[in-house]
Amino acid sequence: MKNPFEAFHHAGILKREIPLDTILKSKEATLAKILAGYEDLLKNEAKDLVWLMQYSTVIKAYSIAEKGMEGIEYTAEDIEEFCYALDHSDQIPYLITGPAGVYISALCNHAEEEEITLHLRDLNVKVNLLGYRLPPHKTLIVEGNVGDFTGIGLDGGELIIEGSGKNYTGAGMKRGKIVVRHNLGFNTGHGMTGGELIVGGRIKGLGKIVGGKVFERDQLIFPNEGIKPFYF
Amino acid sequence: MEIEDIIQKVWARVRRKHLYPQLPLPTVIEGGEDVALEIKSKQLSISSAFFNKLKEKMDGEDIVEAVLDHGITHYMYCPWDFYTHITLYNEAKKVVRQKDQAQRATTYFMDVVTDTYCVKEKDTKLAALYKNLPQSGVHEVLTALYEKIWGEDLGSGKHEELVNCLSRIPYLERRKWGKSIKKFTKVIQDMLEEELGNEQQSAQSEPNPMGEHSLENYSLEEIDRGLREFASAVEDLQEFKETVEDLKEELEEKGYGTGGMGRGKGNAIDANLLYYMKLAESYTLPIKKIPIEKRGYLHPHAHRPWEIGKPFADIDVWTSFGKVMPGITQMWTKREGETHGEFEGTPDSLIIIDSSGSMINPRERLSYAVLGAACACNAYLKHEARAAVYNFSDALRGNKIVLDFNHDKEHVYQAICRYFGGGTALDLDDITYLLSCADNPDIFIITDMQITNLEKLIDFFTGIENRVTAVHLGHNVHAARFKDATEKKKNISLFNVKNKEDIPKIVLGKVKEYLTSPS
Repeated sequence: MKNPFEAFHHAGILKREIPLDTILKSKEATLAKILAGYEDLLKNEAKDLVWLMQYSTVIKAYSIAEKGMEGIEYTAEDIEEFCYALDHSDQIPYLITGPAGVYISALCNHAEEEEITLHLRDLNVKVNLLGYRLPPHKTLIVEGNVGDFTGIGLDGGELIIEGSGKNYTGAGMKRGKIVVRHNLGFNTGHGMTGGELIVGGRIKGLGKIVGGKVFERDQLIFPNEGIKPFYF
Repeated sequence: MEIEDIIQKVWARVRRKHLYPQLPLPTVIEGGEDVALEIKSKQLSISSAFFNKLKEKMDGEDIVEAVLDHGITHYMYCPWDFYTHITLYNEAKKVVRQKDQAQRATTYFMDVVTDTYCVKEKDTKLAALYKNLPQSGVHEVLTALYEKIWGEDLGSGKHEELVNCLSRIPYLERRKWGKSIKKFTKVIQDMLEEELGNEQQSAQSEPNPMGEHSLENYSLEEIDRGLREFASAVEDLQEFKETVEDLKEELEEKGYGTGGMGRGKGNAIDANLLYYMKLAESYTLPIKKIPIEKRGYLHPHAHRPWEIGKPFADIDVWTSFGKVMPGITQMWTKREGETHGEFEGTPDSLIIIDSSGSMINPRERLSYAVLGAACACNAYLKHEARAAVYNFSDALRGNKIVLDFNHDKEHVYQAICRYFGGGTALDLDDITYLLSCADNPDIFIITDMQITNLEKLIDFFTGIENRVTAVHLGHNVHAARFKDATEKKKNISLFNVKNKEDIPKIVLGKVKEYLTSPS
């Protein structure tokens, strides 16, 4: 009996491999490696799904993050994809914004690009600790709002937040520049020893600042006559 | 060889390649030399001026084949239907906030998806076509993108940074199109602004060589179906409203109005009304039929324009000039005769809806009360029964709408969607009047039961024999009181609606004991 669908055999079916397939596969593979590094960090640092934000824990988490991402070749787009994977993916068992921020900061600090832009406006979670230890000659631009402890320990880089931040922004900052287009929360610049913090909107409250400069709506608010440097 | 002959020759080959799509033979139009293709209601038309200009650089058959591959793939793959089209537009709009930019981004995205699908899955000459097309602005970026993701030398190679970002988008993963178009739009946003800015300055638009994607591509039925799916898919009323407001002009131009599909310019579109109409169409509420006396066979009653999808059997050949064509052909609308018999039928219905301050304003957020009432109205009208509406807040102070029994869906919806706010009291005289206008009609009441004269309403309902479907939103003492008082009445059924999913569970005219079963 004649196959009534014979005319359809091989008709129009080609399915060739195009470079897009390779690009997407490589992107997926890179993301998988980045995720594996993040999961390692969580296993070490947040075994009980709890992560206490302390000076020593941040330093330790950062060094584990650096080890976890060793040998991974990635670009700024991969970092952005990772942020969205954290937000949406079911691949990741838990999103803890502290270690996530440390890990993203480590990725940014070791990226090949000197200028990195992360479009995080659609992110549901506000990631903490973005821009941690950002080194000299690096610019990190974040589109969207960020969480607490943004730009802490900034080490010469330039961090631009196209949105608002929360509390402890620029805490412990050594040098460099943080520009925030909108508002900041309490304890801004707590313990900062140098650099500039420029805020386009309002600051709810300053922390105990040791050095550096803080501007609010183009006005120098630290140091000035009312607020003197604090000595720990 | 003339272009018409080439189309004839190539069409068979292209149809086979695309697994025989149901499209008519493409035609030739005079057109401009900058735009290759026009698609209107599934009719592909190739511009002869474009063809003549390009055939100096490329083989004529290859031009036609590539252009047809592009056009057919829009029909077969992306956008495929109107729902996908407006969903993509809606996502793009979330990024750019400007209608023109969102439309342009949607067009470009659909072109990239379509052409990439063709290049991957079919044997096509699209790469050669793009190599010979003029490259400027966004088109230059897209050609550079094609060069990278298709692995073809198209003589571009610029815009490395943009192309790197664009090449990471999974264009062929349909379920990710929503996210993909957002990313795509974000990347080309600056170029779109520049392109549209230049066009405004020079008062000349930069045409898309592969044609524009407007609502012209879709039939009224496709638009209707698309809006129905879109209403169910969007997160809230405002999202639906924004998209429909953007497309309002084109929809009205096409003849699509809130009153439904029709010829020529339809009624002005009320996006709120349309949202509830389309959403209600996704739910079917069953009606228990009852034996009614006035029941007979259907007979031709009036003419109305025939549309694709309507039965041929109802066409009136005498007034249609022997043609079967939407817009010309007339069909009969049928009505019941007056013959008496023992048939089961659907009585008319009185829809009572509470629009007091404790209810949600249907024009701001999705109101389950309005949706429930809309579903009930649909169910009765679909069975050729009539619906009356009593919309009230503080009725005794005049905050009410009393709409007599009629078949006009748009009027009924307008009455249902009206929001008063304020206090809650019924004027039972109005209800008595409306009940007297029809033969033993059903009553559908939807409220949160926080009615000032609830006791009077309970007394009223316990004193009548009409079938009453009472729907209360949320639990409160008043709903409990109503339940207790009417529990023994067999003609009153009470339903609780907590979310959208509870609406289909309502059975209209349900009686606890089927008292009036036909003998």
